[in-house]
Amino acid sequence: MEKVITAPVARPATAEPWKRVAPASRLMLIVASVAPAAFGALAMVLGLRFELALLFVFLPVQLVLGVIAGRRISGKRGQSDAILQIFIIFFAATVFVLLVSVVWSVIESGAKAISWQFFTQNNVYISPTTSLEYGGVGHAIIGTLLVVLLSTVVTVPLGIATAIYLTETRGRSRSVVRTLIQAMSGLPSVVSGLFIYALFIASGITQYVGWAGSLALIPLMLPTVTRVAEESLFLVPQELRNGALALGAPAWRAFWIVTMPAAKSGLITAVLLGIARIIGETAPLVITTFAANSTNYNVFNGPIATLPTYLYQFTAYGYDTSIQRAWGAALVILILVAVLFVSARVITRKKKTSKKVK
Amino acid sequence: MANLSAENVNVWFGQRHVLKDVNLVFPKNEVTALIGPSGCGKSTFIRTLNRMHELIPGAGLAGKVVLDGRDIYDAGVDPVEVRLRVGMVFQKPNPFPTMSIKENVLSGLKLSNRKTSDADGLVETALRRASIWNEVKDRLGDPAISLSGGQQQRLCIARSLAMEPEILLMDEPCSALDPGSTRRIEETILELSEDMTIVIVTHNMQQAQRVSSRTAFFLAEDGNPGQVVEFGSTEQVFNQPIDLRTNDYVNGHFG
Amino acid sequence: MSQNETTAAPERRSLRAKPFAKADRIFYRVSTIAANSSIVLVSLILIFLGIRAWPAFESQGIGFVFGSTWNTSVEPIVMQIGPMLWGSILLSILGVMLAVPMAISIAYFIVFMAGKKLGSSVSVLVDLLAALPSIVLGLWGLLVFSPVAADWAKMLHDALGFIPIFANSGDNFLRSPFIASWVVAVMIVPIIASITREIFSQLDRELISASLALGAGRWSTFRRVILPTAAGGIVGGVLLGLGRALGETVAIYFVLNLIFDINIFNILEPKGGSVASMIMSKFGEASTAEVSGLMAAGVVLFLVTLFVNMLASYIVAKAQPWRK
Repeated sequence: MEKVITAPVARPATAEPWKRVAPASRLMLIVASVAPAAFGALAMVLGLRFELALLFVFLPVQLVLGVIAGRRISGKRGQSDAILQIFIIFFAATVFVLLVSVVWSVIESGAKAISWQFFTQNNVYISPTTSLEYGGVGHAIIGTLLVVLLSTVVTVPLGIATAIYLTETRGRSRSVVRTLIQAMSGLPSVVSGLFIYALFIASGITQYVGWAGSLALIPLMLPTVTRVAEESLFLVPQELRNGALALGAPAWRAFWIVTMPAAKSGLITAVLLGIARIIGETAPLVITTFAANSTNYNVFNGPIATLPTYLYQFTAYGYDTSIQRAWGAALVILILVAVLFVSARVITRKKKTSKKVK
Repeated sequence: MANLSAENVNVWFGQRHVLKDVNLVFPKNEVTALIGPSGCGKSTFIRTLNRMHELIPGAGLAGKVVLDGRDIYDAGVDPVEVRLRVGMVFQKPNPFPTMSIKENVLSGLKLSNRKTSDADGLVETALRRASIWNEVKDRLGDPAISLSGGQQQRLCIARSLAMEPEILLMDEPCSALDPGSTRRIEETILELSEDMTIVIVTHNMQQAQRVSSRTAFFLAEDGNPGQVVEFGSTEQVFNQPIDLRTNDYVNGHFG
Repeated sequence: MSQNETTAAPERRSLRAKPFAKADRIFYRVSTIAANSSIVLVSLILIFLGIRAWPAFESQGIGFVFGSTWNTSVEPIVMQIGPMLWGSILLSILGVMLAVPMAISIAYFIVFMAGKKLGSSVSVLVDLLAALPSIVLGLWGLLVFSPVAADWAKMLHDALGFIPIFANSGDNFLRSPFIASWVVAVMIVPIIASITREIFSQLDRELISASLALGAGRWSTFRRVILPTAAGGIVGGVLLGLGRALGETVAIYFVLNLIFDINIFNILEPKGGSVASMIMSKFGEASTAEVSGLMAAGVVLFLVTLFVNMLASYIVAKAQPWRK
């Protein structure tokens, strides 16, 4: 279809898009972006706090100069545009600074705690004040991996099958399921822990145990897996499914041979993001798996330590060394999350580039 | 061999009646062209012939589609069996992007869980019949999406042919292609018609005249459901149309 | 509705796009069971928590939600979560107020200001922020951010202390709702930003460039074209963030004093509440009767977040018609 040409609109008399920005206005732009920083720096030298200098010197100067520059360059609308852009960049930069602050403080403080033995040793005979040369989070890393693995083994088939239901079938309860999945994604993690506690521990079926923690993580992981998987299946063109069906395929073979491979990278991303969602969950584990000092390889027997509960415990002790250990654990969690996150990115990236090749 | 006919076929989407009382017979080993302006229901109709129609949510149907004396919409008929006998090529080429050229040709076997003793032979035969063998024989392992649009469409034809359907449905197979590719696909259709029944939807009246021996003209007037206005030999429909509206359409007065 | 044919149309046949072969029936059955398991799961959560929570609801009555005392050393014990519930709401609202300008700015920056490359790297950063576990944010909030924010709070108090909101009876500015709401804001910025970004990027480009070409500035385009069209989605995103903030547990526990004395709006006072954090903090040493009270608190919290989330998903779905 060719583009519909709408009725011609009168061009504003002042619009001169071909006109290059005059050198004078370019100078204005430079002044408007550099001068506020200079004023801010001056204010700081004169003894004003950084935050105050930013808020009460830098930003106002920036606004005033921005408005003047905007007005010089593009008239009246330049003013409000300048204000909009300055605020947008200011707020966006705030988010950036917060993010960098979080990541940097974890890396900086965590690195001090981390050593080879921090990864390999467990917490037996270690008190909150024991120096950092002894003990580590080895047991918690193993515990986290096992607990998360068990959750993943249950949740991934469930989540992907639900996504299949939502995209590949015409089941009647699709909208109900979709709404409930959405609702589940807002389930407070502590409530999920309470649920498993009420179901298995308070009722005397089991003591604190690894698998209870895994179960408590399922309602938290399920919505992420389902939604990302649904999205990636949804993006597979309908023509491919029709092509497969028209060749005489039963629906399950069409899915298995055509739709699923086409959505493969999205499905893997669903799994990775699901794991990233639960790997740092703390509250449900505190309620269901408790903590342990020794290494426990069996999620079906006895309490098990995990990185988040370790971090929680050692932060709560409040001693300098215990806090350092907590930072170390935080860094380990961050590394795990980063690995998952980067793998998910790489996988989706590959998909995109291979599409471009054609 | 297969005889296909539509008896009093009516089609709805939701409450909208889009096709009314279509009666057509598709003789064995002939090419039948379905022509008509956009929105007259010809693409919808062709999808009823191998039960692809029911995959659209809200689709409704009345009447019969009879294949070898049996109504394909009977409760006891497996749509999968119907589609194995009645292949389909779509408007937009849709090779499976995760598969190589060769795998695409063999995909039908895999999808219907069939085995062949001579996969290479089958691939070559199918690609030759779709007249694309010479262009791809040296790169059968390449991904199918590395082919050009016209080649992709011929690959899709080969993919259908590998299943040895008795009837091939083509829904505007050339609408997305350049004239060169169109030409080659038309040649392919003519060759295939020697031992296969073909139904082709086309917008292009020259194409209908070049490839088909029989033509059905569909028309939907002013919000009424689409109907077959005229059905006969291509020669007759284009040169001595009985209905005035057919005359107007084939002479380019509307549509 | 054009069924005004003169001749009666033949009867419509039932078109079963249903699976015919056995394997297909199994395929559909399995996916249906899996999908329905989510219904089962949510109802199980409500039922089991409800059963365990019932004794507490029964003994405490309506005061459980609105009262403000939690005393388990008296007989009969008193468990009332009013301050915690209000604390959760206060924190979430403050958090959202801080997060919304940041989130919209990020989304605007990614979609309309940055080029393709910069835009996609910024959205990677936003996703990264979303992937940070809340306990890591809590640790940062406790040890890095709290001291800084306490300074800000003190300055706010010194300058504007005459306004009741910024009043502070002592000299302790740590562990206040103000600080906790910043931590919450950091947590929900990526949620709101990613939804807003998606809505922005789905807006009709032609509409925006037409508006700009007509000589409307970026501001009036934002005000009159972008915001009105995207408003529904943004509200939905905000509600999703609100749901997340209401359920946040560890991070808030690290940076906020949980006090059973209702603090309506003195956001700089070192006293606040959060249902989720309270559940976790009390869980360790709770007696059976108290556990029932905590379960009841969990039920209340779940119902509130459920409501907020349902509303959010309804609004988001309405605002994104391109998703079926």
